[in-house]
Amino acid sequence: MIESVQFNNLKALRDTTLQLGRFTLIVGPNGSGKSTALWALRAAGDPSLLDFNRAATAGLVVDNSTTVEVALRWGSPHDGATTFARWSTSAQNHWHTFKQELSGDLVKSLSDELDNTLSAIRIYSFDAPSIAAPTSLEPQVTLGSNGRNLAVVLDQLRDSDPERFEALNEELGRWLPEFERILFDTPFGGQKSFLLRTRRGRHKIQASELSQGTLIALAILTLAYIPHPPPIVCFEEPDRGIHPRLLRDIRDAIYRLSYPENHGEKRDPVQVIATTHSPYFLDLYKDHPEEVVIADKVGQEVRFERLSDRADIDEILGDTQLGDAWYSGVLGGVPSHP
Amino acid sequence: MKLVVLSESPEDEAAIRILVDGILGFQTEHVTPPFRASGWSQHLNVLPSVLKKLHYHTDADALAVVVDSDASAAHRLTHVPHDGASQGCRLCRLRLLSDQVQNSLTEVPNRTQLRTGFGLAIPALEAWLLCGHDPRAIEATLLQRPDAGTRTLRLQLKQDLYRTDRPSSEVRMKRATEEARRLVQILDELERCFPDGFGALARDIRSW
Repeated sequence: MIESVQFNNLKALRDTTLQLGRFTLIVGPNGSGKSTALWALRAAGDPSLLDFNRAATAGLVVDNSTTVEVALRWGSPHDGATTFARWSTSAQNHWHTFKQELSGDLVKSLSDELDNTLSAIRIYSFDAPSIAAPTSLEPQVTLGSNGRNLAVVLDQLRDSDPERFEALNEELGRWLPEFERILFDTPFGGQKSFLLRTRRGRHKIQASELSQGTLIALAILTLAYIPHPPPIVCFEEPDRGIHPRLLRDIRDAIYRLSYPENHGEKRDPVQVIATTHSPYFLDLYKDHPEEVVIADKVGQEVRFERLSDRADIDEILGDTQLGDAWYSGVLGGVPSHP
Repeated sequence: MKLVVLSESPEDEAAIRILVDGILGFQTEHVTPPFRASGWSQHLNVLPSVLKKLHYHTDADALAVVVDSDASAAHRLTHVPHDGASQGCRLCRLRLLSDQVQNSLTEVPNRTQLRTGFGLAIPALEAWLLCGHDPRAIEATLLQRPDAGTRTLRLQLKQDLYRTDRPSSEVRMKRATEEARRLVQILDELERCFPDGFGALARDIRSW
């Protein structure tokens, strides 16, 4: 698990640290570095995803010694390890350091483990047409960052783990009681699409006819139910298109990933980092301020602050809903003008 | 009798409905869609609209509202709404607001006044649901704890009831309805353990 990320000269993240837990929800105004922070996690494992000119803070005075840097500090099971990624005008590289002196073989082995974890990070920014699109039938397909391949991922789940697929159907029926089952179709040779069957009348609704919120909810639910989700998952606005009363279910699915033991799952926890602009979604985390990070933009610079690190947070909140308090501006993390 | 429950979640609604039915001794009917308020401040904000909607546009007979006290002042049976409200008692604030709104409503032919019942779960509904299981689940004991009204206590109650402080909606529904059904068999004990917060609700309902 990544415990914190230190940013230097990365776009708006000029000098700040993002504290992370098993689940972290980042709120802040547009342009406050939320998405940059997520993409930096990917780039820390593969610096070629960025180049210095794209990564550097706007207006940065550049000379030969100027660098953009991202440093990930790891917790269990890699306590004390740090991954550095650095971009300069002439080079880009990344490396790992470890707390104690280790043999060369062990350093290589642990470095490979960290690289594998970093390369498996997935950032999901779902869009309805991609989720609904028919998918080519290929082995070992995973869910794409925009939700593509959902039909094949569901089909694989049905074939490889029918019990989980049934549990997913049951959960879907609880979230969206108008539907009772996921069905499949092969619209063209070698392609797979999915449909939802309605409870009343048993009508089959093509994926392309489903609402944006239904499709995004199904994509998140699927991730929560597949047996081997990625070790670190980032969601860009998982609440998008979802009715406020359904947001508790989205929270539950995310907690299923990050606290699998609470849901009878035997697998390792998935570290989840999500962003939101929804006060309703934020309200759901009032009892866990350690899971909420405010991205506060002051001028051109952003600072991340975990809500639980504010000594006066309970006094500030009082009877106020967390989402209302954030919207009002008393917690920061709001646009400076409108 | 058609009963509306204004609550934070389907699980809270289910538990409150079971308790109300238990006090009444018969099963009430639902009015759809269910009303929700996400948190105390929203309860206060939406209550006038809920009362007007029920009065003018439904044939609902009664409204039950239960809110968590969190860190606010505890309700006392001796409170009169004005005094209790001025002391920050959430139950009295709701009751006062309800009286004000109901007094301002115009008559609707063939409609009797909506009956209302208000409860205050001290510090949260989980405490009621633990009554009989945990000897510490007593209003007076909970109010005297050093962590009374804090997030720490709320999380502890969740942990005790659900075995996790991040229960899923499914687990919450299962546990809430199980425990509410159990409590219906021991309503006297629940009222003895929570004389002010649950007692207020029980008295309101018995007066319907």
